[in-house]
Order: sequence, then C-alpha cells, then structure tokens
Amino acid sequence: MIEVNGIRKSFGDLVALDGIDFSAPDGEVTGLIGPNGAGKTTALRILYTIMRPDAGQATIDGFDTVESRQKVQERIGVVPDSRGLYPRLTAREHVRYYGRLHGMNGQGLESRIDDLVDVLEMSEFIDRRARGFSKGQMRKVAMARALVHEPQNYMLDEPTNGLDVTASRAAHRLIRGLRDQGRCILFCSHIMQEVAAISDRIVVISSGRVVAHGTPDELRRQTGTDELEDVFVRLTGGKRIEPHVE
Amino acid sequence: MWSSVFIVFAKEVRDNARDRRSLLVALVYPLLGPILLGLLLSAAVGMATAQPGQKLVLAVGGMENSPEMAEFLDRNDVVVVPAPVDPRAAVRASTVETVLIIPPGFSERFHSGQTALVTVIFNSSRLPGLIAVNQAKQLIGDFNREVLERRMSERGIDRSLLQPLSIKNVNVASGKQLAGLLLLMVPPLFIFNLFMGGVYLAMDTTSGERERGSLEPLLINPVARWGVMLGKYLAALFYTAVAVAAQLIAFRIIFGAVSPPDLGVLSAFNIGMIIGVFLTMLPLMMVAVGVQVIIATITRSYKEAQTYLGLLPLIPAIPGMVLVFAPVQAQGWMMSVPIFSQTLILGQLVRGAPVAFLDVAVSMSSSVMVSALLVIVAARLYERENLIFGN
Repeated sequence: MIEVNGIRKSFGDLVALDGIDFSAPDGEVTGLIGPNGAGKTTALRILYTIMRPDAGQATIDGFDTVESRQKVQERIGVVPDSRGLYPRLTAREHVRYYGRLHGMNGQGLESRIDDLVDVLEMSEFIDRRARGFSKGQMRKVAMARALVHEPQNYMLDEPTNGLDVTASRAAHRLIRGLRDQGRCILFCSHIMQEVAAISDRIVVISSGRVVAHGTPDELRRQTGTDELEDVFVRLTGGKRIEPHVE
Repeated sequence: MWSSVFIVFAKEVRDNARDRRSLLVALVYPLLGPILLGLLLSAAVGMATAQPGQKLVLAVGGMENSPEMAEFLDRNDVVVVPAPVDPRAAVRASTVETVLIIPPGFSERFHSGQTALVTVIFNSSRLPGLIAVNQAKQLIGDFNREVLERRMSERGIDRSLLQPLSIKNVNVASGKQLAGLLLLMVPPLFIFNLFMGGVYLAMDTTSGERERGSLEPLLINPVARWGVMLGKYLAALFYTAVAVAAQLIAFRIIFGAVSPPDLGVLSAFNIGMIIGVFLTMLPLMMVAVGVQVIIATITRSYKEAQTYLGLLPLIPAIPGMVLVFAPVQAQGWMMSVPIFSQTLILGQLVRGAPVAFLDVAVSMSSSVMVSALLVIVAARLYERENLIFGN
C-alpha cells in the first residue's frame, strides 16, 4: 500500500512536484502517466527513498519514506530509472547480491533465484557475465533483482521501455500475476496503451501536479471522451503523449 | 548491518579480481619500483665488490709472452682469464670490460732492458669500463714501478731519487654508501605505491558505479548508506594492502638477491620487519583510501575522478623525494603529520637507524584519527542526494 500526501520537490528554481496526492492500494496495478518531464520519475524516486521531499509525506505500508527509510526499503522491489549492471558479474551473481543485501542466503536464496530464472526465462544467460547483454536481458536481470526478496510493493519506472512485443507482454503477464497475489504495483510510463492495458487505476501527472486519478472508466467519464488518448491530451493541457512504439 | 558491509566488501573484491586493471595496479605496478631499485643496487654492489682487497678478474691476451707479468698478477690476487678472440669487438660489446694485450717479443725487449709495449683495450663510454681500465692501469703502473725499483737497486741507485712525490689514494666513496643513497628512494616509491594500490577500486566502486547506473538500484536495498560506503572503502583498502604487501615482499626478495651480506643496511630487511612496516603503514593506507573515496564521490564523472586520482599518488611522494636530497633530523611534531611521519619512519628503517616506539605510536594514532575523519566525511557525502546523479 503506497500513500502520497502533498509532496513537493524543487531542483533550484525548477518545481518538479508541486504538491501531489494519490494512493496505490494492494491487489491493484496503479499506472502513473504523464508527458516527459511531468515529474513521474521524481515522484517514484521519492517513494523508493532515493530522494527526500521538500514538503509532504509518503508512506509504504504505513512507514514514512524519510523517517523509516530502511523499513520502507525492505518492503519494496524497484526497477529504477537507472538500472545499470556490473559487467564482470554474471546475471545470477547480480540477483544473489541483492538477495543477500535483503538478508537472504543459502538454499532459500538459491532456489528463489532458480524460480526467477524460470519465470523471467533467463536460463540462457543466467551464468554469463553481464558485459554484452542485450537490452532485454539487462531488463530481466533488473527485474529479477527487484523481485528476489518477494516484497509486498513494487515500483517500476518504464518497465518495458525498449523491449520488443514479446518481452513487453511477458512483463505485463508478470505484473498481473503479482497483482493477483495481492501485491501493490506502481509503475510509471509515458506509453498510454501500456498503462491502459494493465492498469486498474491511473494517476495522470502534468507539470508536477496530479490532474486526474481514477479507473480508466472513471477517467473517460470525467473527460467525456471514449479514447484514452484523448483523455490524456485533454488532461495534460494539450501536451502530446508519445505514440506507442510496439 | 555489519553483514551487509561484508556483503558489499566481498562483492567489490570479487568483481575487481576479474578486472585486469585492478589486478595490474595491485600486483604488478608494486613490483616496478623494487625491480628498478634492485638493478641500481646491483650495480652499486658490483662497485663495492670491485674494491681493493677483492679479487680482480682481468682478461689478458698473450700472457705466455711475459712470465714476469703473470707472476706479478698472480701475486696481486688478480684472476687472469684468456682474452676473447676479437678483443676490440668484445670490449665494444661489453662482454668484457677491459683487455690487456701482451704482444709477442715482449719478453725479449723486457729482458734486454728496453721499453716493452702493452696494450689496454677499454670502452670509455661505460662506467664499469672506466673503473676496470683504472684498475688495469694501476696494476701496470705498479708492475712498472716494481721493475724500475729492482733495476735501480741492481745498479745501486736509491729509488727515492726518482720518486720525489708519493701519492696515497684513499677513496671513501664506496659502493656501500651508494647503496645507502639508493635506499633513500625506498620511502617515496613506497608512499607512491601505497596511494596507487586502491585508486582504481575507489573510482570503480563510486564514480564508476554511478556512471554505469548501478548505484541507484544498489542504494534502494535496505542497507544504511554509510554501510555501503564502508564496504567499498574496505574493498579499496584490501587492494591497497595487497599492493603494499606485494611491494614489501618484492623489496625483500630483490634486496636479498642483490645485496651481499656485508651490506648491513639491507640485511635488516627481514620478515619481522616486513610485518612491522606493514602494520606501521596500515593507518596511512586508511588515510589514502579515505582521500580516494572522497575524491571519487565528489567528482562529477569517472573521467574527472581519473584525472585527480591519477595525479594523487605523486603528491604524497614529494616529501620523500625532497628528503633524498635534503635529509632532515626527525622531530617529535613531524610524527603527528600523516605521510610525512611514515616517510621519516621508513627512512630510518632502510638506513638501519633506530626507530623510536613513541614515534611509531604517534604516527599510527594520528593517521588513524585522520582516516576516521575522512571516513565520516565520506559517509556524509554518501547521504547526499546528488551522490547518485552527479552534481
């Protein structure tokens, strides 16, 4: 369960978030959408404890992201904006490193990694060093290390950006599977079709503010349009959402 | 918490063990200084063994032409070896330093009281050649004087008549002293290596990690930022320690190989001393890695970090370089200055001068305090938001 109350964040003169409120309940996929530069990544970075808000408060399962940083970190699995790998470590070593940092070890950790290899279809490269991995392989490793400790809450920053259709669909299946287990998933994207396809609830951000918040149907009703694309164009003040590239 | 520090430490050590550059800096670079010094030392030791009193080896062509000369050389403890087939070429190629040629007919001219000719072939472009030719000429001069004195006394002439002046040569510059001078190069080489050993790791684990984009996900794990920093710090310290140990062992082996037992300064370099030096220098390693981690953290990019950290090892080596040419008497306050105190202590050790326990204690504790400060500063820097995104 993720709750955001009145978060503001500025970088010098630039106001990135101008007081946003929303929540992402358990058992649902919440999509955060907005044009480039709307503040999606900044909002996620505050939620996954990498940035501190100037004002306002965010909680994960009731724990404050600033006051109880470590408690929050134990409860989240994140595919962040930057998701670099260590070129000299194998995919398995990446996942194992993160599992250990979450206090896992021994047979429990190893069998969890084996499960992830099956789910994410990584068997082909799991014991290869990361130097030279394709974008899709890198994304899978990033996903595996976010999932290894089986947290309750997931935050995914553009999880399918740069993936081909098959890989994107596999990622979507995985996200729905997590939702069906009762987990809380918050992901951000600027790809409207993706948000429409897997979100139970949508939060639209524009210029650092939440301009709409609801289920896809609610948003359609609010704006009086049938096409979600038109919903976004109207809500974001005419700013164009980039077309889906699949 | 400490187990997380260890997990980060173990990952960085393993990751960098797979990197040729890290290994090169930790295991190969440290050997270069000792090898260079070893070569210079063996030359100095060679000069020391060529002192009077040691047996001189002289290549002689046509020894059979002068039994008198053969007898003289033998009496003066000179080891005579046959001259090479082409003496000039051999000397030019430095396979021998100098060759004495006694031509046929020498004996006839010698016994008839005429001036007999000998030839000395040498190569003045080489220092060992000059030393060898001086020794050969000295021998020939001595032989000349001996024959002259014998002939004069046979004719009843007082020898002092022909020798109004006598020169006694006393050369105090010995190879042993030259070796001592070369040993003064040990402290700056050592300090340079100490500041070099972990440099690559400090960069790779901080600015490298940021530039690869792996720092952001790493810091989302439930580990305090200072814990992540400390794990990386300890990994860089480990590689520094490996580099320092590798160099100490290299010094031991190479000095052991080139120095004859009578060079007392060097024989002090034993295993106990290696361990002692290592422990004495450990606080300075902690300072060095602290500085490296801070620089790698505050610089905006890997390239920028590389520029500063590439130059860094030279700066602490400067005091040692200056002390080679302008030695100072160690004073109490100097021992509280990191880098300087270690340079002085190393200097005392290699000279075989006594090292005061109090000096070592002051040096170690002051450096530990400075390194603790640096670690605290580095931990603070890790808390900053722009750690991940540069400035």
